[in-house]
Amino acid sequence: MAYGASRHHGIGVFSQAIIEVKGRLCEKTLRTALDQILARVPLLHGQMARDWHNLAPYWKVPPAARDVSIPLQVIDLAEREADRADQLFTDHGNAPFDADWQHARFLLIRIGQERSRLGVVFDHRLIDAFGAEVFFRLIDLTWQGRLDEFAPRIKQTEPAHADNWTRRFKSGQTLNRLHLRMKQLDVCHLTMPPGNAFWPNQFVHDSLTQDESAAFIRKAGEEISVPIVSPSATARAVLAVRKVLPSMSGTGTDYMLFTTANLRLPNQEWETFLFNHIAMLPYWLPAQSDMTAKEAAIELRDQFFDHMKKQIPFALDDAAALGRIVPLAIGGPMLRTMAGGRICSFYFACLRDAGFSGETFLGLPTVDLIHKPLALSPPGLNMCLTFFRGRFNLVVSYVEGAVSDYSAKRLMDEFKSSLLR
Amino acid sequence: MAEVITIESIHQQLCTEIETLLSLKAGSIKTDTDLTVLGIDSLRFVSLLLVIEQRFGVNLMKTGLTNEDTKTVRCLSAAVQSGRNA
Repeated sequence: MAYGASRHHGIGVFSQAIIEVKGRLCEKTLRTALDQILARVPLLHGQMARDWHNLAPYWKVPPAARDVSIPLQVIDLAEREADRADQLFTDHGNAPFDADWQHARFLLIRIGQERSRLGVVFDHRLIDAFGAEVFFRLIDLTWQGRLDEFAPRIKQTEPAHADNWTRRFKSGQTLNRLHLRMKQLDVCHLTMPPGNAFWPNQFVHDSLTQDESAAFIRKAGEEISVPIVSPSATARAVLAVRKVLPSMSGTGTDYMLFTTANLRLPNQEWETFLFNHIAMLPYWLPAQSDMTAKEAAIELRDQFFDHMKKQIPFALDDAAALGRIVPLAIGGPMLRTMAGGRICSFYFACLRDAGFSGETFLGLPTVDLIHKPLALSPPGLNMCLTFFRGRFNLVVSYVEGAVSDYSAKRLMDEFKSSLLR
Repeated sequence: MAEVITIESIHQQLCTEIETLLSLKAGSIKTDTDLTVLGIDSLRFVSLLLVIEQRFGVNLMKTGLTNEDTKTVRCLSAAVQSGRNA
């Protein structure tokens, strides 16, 4: 996906996480912590390389890269300028990475003396959303002088050229059957702006209170008779899109979306800090339908169960290793061809696991932690539900020109109110 | 004739299964261990429900599960037993 995006517009796939604290974060403290982390985790400045002996790609750290620090930009705003912060983070998130070996960069915005927000933009090849939260935890640990507790025994992926070919082949077969099912869908989609340029993202953010979040978690479990949140949240995202973007439902007969599933085991945050440990599972619902939220949630629950019975998440993980053998010049275009250039209707992320949930960060009380994932083009729209210390944060990311600001705001309002109904 | 499975056997099998799912040492999970603090995500929770269906012939989705049912192995076992007796 990252390669496909790079080929399409030359930027790649990246995402942003922002932590907010009360008080004024110290630039020097952050700089020192980042330098110490970089010395401990040189993978942060690696590059994709390929071992042409067996075609397996790997992450290589060139010696020269070790001298390059992780960028940290600092902007101080007066209280009356606080409204500028969101757009500054958006601009920071939309800018490309400068070099092959820079995969994370930070922006610190201090608003008066009372508030600070630290955002990290990260290369999705190296870090996923959970990993970005762990990165904040690592910074905090470093500030506490406890970096030694981080044992950088990053979980190694199995070499793509190694054994277990039978298992991997069966995983490939499982996925092929899934792909054939997906090919039968007539996917509703947004119209992208013309050309291959990188179209900047914009974002809308809102949140639920702790009580509202707890109420939704209860309702979601009761609705589908299983105490999990994702099917109910996903159903409401689809129904909000159907209501607010009716032009999309006219372009096909099925909403198809990819939703995240975290493959990590608990208590393995350090081992899985880097690289991606999520599976993107496909789901579909009929476009022209008067399904209620509960009916849609039950349908999605059943699809989730079906994916699990067929071991789809683990087949994706397996086949990803196999897929790394495929030369990127072929793999990238293949993905777009399979999906008829549409990819999906939109992406949806529902992340209940938190990589960081501390009450303080660098000694200051934490207020919030939100994610602003990039909306790829296509599909042009991404909705994200994350959890921080008992509260859900909601983010709608959209490509300028594919969705209007007005529609994005309405989409957020509809999604939020459906979670509360 | 349906196989008779004691509640203690259900307890033991569920404890072992959860330990396997979370890569924990044998004996880590007790009958009254608070499962909510273990960080069992939806992927692994659904895997557990599938194992329960395969092993005990009970589809807990259809019989319905509440948050109370999943607090401990004891509570979950009771839900399984109830499903088998239905």
